[in-house]
Amino acid sequence: MRSALYLSLAVSLGGPGAIRVAHADDQAPAPLRQRRATAAEIFAGPFRSPRLFAMPVADVVGAYQLSLSGDASLLQEPGILTAAGVAAIGFGDVAQIEYRHTSAVGIGDIEAPIPAVGVQLQAPFRERPWVPAVAIAFRLGVPRRETIADQPVDESVTDLYLVTRLRLRGPLTGVTLHTGARVSSAKIVRPGLDAAGTAKRLMVLPTFGLDLAASDSARAIAEIGLAPQFRFDPAVDAAPQVDYGLLGRVGVRWAALPAVVLDASIGYQLEVARGQPADGLESFVQWDIRVGGEVFVPWGAIACRLTGGFCESRE
Amino acid sequence: MSMNVPKLLIAGAVALTAGVATAQPLPVPIPLPTPPPDGTPPPTDGTPPPTDGTPTDAPPPVDQPPPPVDQPPPLGAPPPIESITEVPASEPPPPPIDLPELLLAPSGAMLPAGVIYSRSGVDTSGGLSSDMRFGLGDVAEFGVAVTDLIRGREASGLTPRRLAPFYTATFRMGLAEDRLFRHQPALALGFRKSFEYEADNHRARIAELHLAASGHVGTRTTVHLNGSFWDASVETGDEGAVLLHDQGLGRQFRVGGGVAVRAVEDADILIDYAWMPEFCFTCSAPNRTRLRPILSWGVRYDLASWAQLQSGVRVPDIGDANLLDAQIFGQLTLINRSIERVVDRQRRR
Repeated sequence: MRSALYLSLAVSLGGPGAIRVAHADDQAPAPLRQRRATAAEIFAGPFRSPRLFAMPVADVVGAYQLSLSGDASLLQEPGILTAAGVAAIGFGDVAQIEYRHTSAVGIGDIEAPIPAVGVQLQAPFRERPWVPAVAIAFRLGVPRRETIADQPVDESVTDLYLVTRLRLRGPLTGVTLHTGARVSSAKIVRPGLDAAGTAKRLMVLPTFGLDLAASDSARAIAEIGLAPQFRFDPAVDAAPQVDYGLLGRVGVRWAALPAVVLDASIGYQLEVARGQPADGLESFVQWDIRVGGEVFVPWGAIACRLTGGFCESRE
Repeated sequence: MSMNVPKLLIAGAVALTAGVATAQPLPVPIPLPTPPPDGTPPPTDGTPPPTDGTPTDAPPPVDQPPPPVDQPPPLGAPPPIESITEVPASEPPPPPIDLPELLLAPSGAMLPAGVIYSRSGVDTSGGLSSDMRFGLGDVAEFGVAVTDLIRGREASGLTPRRLAPFYTATFRMGLAEDRLFRHQPALALGFRKSFEYEADNHRARIAELHLAASGHVGTRTTVHLNGSFWDASVETGDEGAVLLHDQGLGRQFRVGGGVAVRAVEDADILIDYAWMPEFCFTCSAPNRTRLRPILSWGVRYDLASWAQLQSGVRVPDIGDANLLDAQIFGQLTLINRSIERVVDRQRRR
């Protein structure tokens, strides 16, 4: 384990000295919204991603832009492909509205998709050295049904995130720290049962993230935080429980093109398929590999180019 | 709509392999220089032969100024090769790639950003394997594979049988050689985990976390070393899962590695030592999963810059000095750099 952590750190620290920051800077201009802009200019960015892997950051999708992202885990649940997608649209560089769609696709069956909506607001302060950016995000959870040992349970989580982002300077240029607290209202219900079949808990969950420029187009990212963990094993206890669980992830996000980001990571997290807690960090067989991507669509610039609408007023 | 993941992977492997083959550039024809009418053999360095009868090895007259560079060739002289082939000024070829694995053992090398790597193999025991990876930003790679090397037996006295197809996914991140300091070996931290294999009322999964280092020694030799932590979960019937990590670190940790020597200009001799889990479904918990060493040796031949052929011998039971079950294998490695070229081109704009 220690060697893994040391190498992750080395990968991260190997970059900043010689490598410029790959992602957009707050002061950078937005994609051109001009009638004569070429496709290359429109998709040259810069674009800002509102997340690390699962953790939101104190950035929002830019104005007149749309972010489509999705990821999939081949291994989170044994033999099952689980996937999740998020569409986020930016408003005025300070807000975004997002729609989440999660599904679990089995080899032989499909569970119902789980939609959820959220809104994220970024404090409209000018970025200054050593002053963190701040954002707040709200995600409204919709119940998700799972069947464990032929017993259905409905799980839901509604989150309120407060996140900060601090870009380091000097010899640590390229390193960005993310911290946050997640206030979660988690609930698990066994349909048809009375209060004994319901567990509900309000939890305050700290999160921490580290984001480093690892090459001219890639960022090494680590995030760790507590998360609600649902426990239900009918053979042991008929009453479901909500507990604290640990979720950690280390990986890479690579901006293959300014508007196309690919990511892959390994993570330690709850194994939800059987309603049992993970055994601990040494239980590699319960770790997860996740791969995903994010595409930015500068719809305002495209609409300007095609129709003349949404163009910048200074043109 | 249901999704059959194994079929999807197989279809993807076939499609990618075909794509790699069709995406390779066609060879550029380079015509031979036309011999002069007097029968003088053309020079071998590509310079056009003289047309005025001057011997090829005669020194040029001292008192004559050199002809201007852009002067058109005299009548009857063979045109320069550039004007015949009209090969556009192209980018220099990218440097060769250090592969992320030897024969079985992982290496510390990482695929460059945007490079697609695929390796497919067959052996004399009838096993089929395939591995596809994609380089992410020069510091990571992701891949899926199907392996035929994991075996299981019903009881301790019985002959193990192959558990195939056994699907895995891999994620590795690492540092290139000499990145942090001179003589720093290439380092890779990799994680591999399998889908759940289910057959005959047994369910099994494996996972491996490895740290691999690779360094060049001299100009022809590369040494690879890795340490791996293994984990496995085995279930039979309704009994609970038996986990390898419950048996202690001594049963999880193994050291492997190998050596690659560039024996001739386009071929390497490889030796590697790797580990694979073997299951015993009815054995006691401490013996439910055992890590078995595999010794492999062979040759890697460069067919082209985008294709390599590996062949050699693999001894799955080297721990028992059992050579009777040794396998002869062949592997084809294809490397597609199309995405890398597109990304580089876009970045330069």
